[in-house]
Amino acid sequence: MLHRRIYQFFIIYFLGLAVLMVIKYSLSLSDYVIPSPVEVWLTSRQFFPVYFVAVLNTLSVAILGHILSIFLATTVGIIGRLTIWVGSFIRVAAYNIQAYPIVAVAPIIFILLGDGLSSRLLIAAMICYFPLLLSFIGVFSEPVAEIEHFFESTLKMTWWLQVKIRAFENISKLITVIVGSATLAMVGTIVAEFIAADAGIGYSIRIALFQSDLAKILVALFLIGVCTSLYLVLLEWIGHMIQKRWEIPKGG
Amino acid sequence: MQLECKDLKFQYPGTNIHVFKALSLQIPGPGFHALFGPSGVGKTTLAKMICGIINGYTGEIATNEMNRILYTHNLERLPGWSSVRQHLELNTPDSSKHIVAELIHSFGLQVCMESRFAQLSLGQQNRTNLTRYLLQDFDLLIMDESLANVDEVTKEKIILKMKDMFPERCFLYISHNVVEVAKFCDQILVLRSHHKVPQAVNLSGQNHKDNQVLDKKALEHTMLEIVNAS
Repeated sequence: MLHRRIYQFFIIYFLGLAVLMVIKYSLSLSDYVIPSPVEVWLTSRQFFPVYFVAVLNTLSVAILGHILSIFLATTVGIIGRLTIWVGSFIRVAAYNIQAYPIVAVAPIIFILLGDGLSSRLLIAAMICYFPLLLSFIGVFSEPVAEIEHFFESTLKMTWWLQVKIRAFENISKLITVIVGSATLAMVGTIVAEFIAADAGIGYSIRIALFQSDLAKILVALFLIGVCTSLYLVLLEWIGHMIQKRWEIPKGG
Repeated sequence: MQLECKDLKFQYPGTNIHVFKALSLQIPGPGFHALFGPSGVGKTTLAKMICGIINGYTGEIATNEMNRILYTHNLERLPGWSSVRQHLELNTPDSSKHIVAELIHSFGLQVCMESRFAQLSLGQQNRTNLTRYLLQDFDLLIMDESLANVDEVTKEKIILKMKDMFPERCFLYISHNVVEVAKFCDQILVLRSHHKVPQAVNLSGQNHKDNQVLDKKALEHTMLEIVNAS
């Protein structure tokens, strides 16, 4: 799993780099526009430790934001499954709000909360929260009639049992969505840092952009890719372990 | 204790086809009764109307003293996270705890107790599902193909055991098997297509019980009656 993810990333990254070099040398662009491979290498040696710390900073915020969004999406998804007006209101509100680009709302968050950790965390959580919420509401609102019927008709059904049944029956779907949204958490944190934060790899990219230093940006992108791949592999492994624990051989 | 349906009319929303046009029938008190009829005639629909899952019909369903009506079908599943034993322990009311062991033994479920539902064969799954319903408090249990995929010998043992253990309860057994319906059931409600009048015909079955000699000629006669009625 780990090898595959890292190989895939390396292939894509170095293909992208190769395309840049083809453009540079075929159009005879200067090192100021697209740096030479030597310059990229020298920059990476010089800035790797600093950017590595920055990307770990970003990753830690992304993981926190991701956990927060999973917690929020589960809570709201559980309320949203209700057939009474609260559930209906939450479902409609979730669909409407998710249509709003978070980047457009981000300045309000920075004005209200400043450019520290809380803003980055909130934006990261919000960006991966809505796709999670839509999936969670879908899963928790969909009855598993062939299991729930017994508990409904014998008046043994509780909200906790209902949620447990629906989550168990859709465990692979939930894991896929959680793994998929991890990338969004990373994207959200970087976007937040890029807009207004004072730490993290997004902030470093913003500074590199002001300096028009593409070599630094390429190094940052490499580290982001590696760290995101590692986080995805970790989540996939956790998901695999959960599924392995529940999976049982079929009889007959 | 009896259940009575009077002049039931029903069609599924968005369709023009009447499932029932003027259906009237009676389920006499306790006993093992059958609801028989060809596929698509409305047996499951009627069962769901009786236990309140389907509404939006006209006419009357009088359940009288049948307060606790349960409906079970052969596609039900147990939650996948627990074994059959854990599930039965958790979901058996105190009043039925004393018959758990007897039911498990009679239904041949001893070997399934530590397994999860998905690990069982289809026949074992249906027997397990029926067992947990029999352990509940009910006045009427509607069994929709509940013994599908169970071999004939085991099926006979189960039905005879149910009749022996729960003589004061009412069962409505939905099946397509003419022989078992004619042999084991007390009253047989034959449901017919909506353009036939009356839509339901009530016949008497052989109501065969354990240690009873079966009159084969009478059984054949009942089977013919059922076939002719449907």
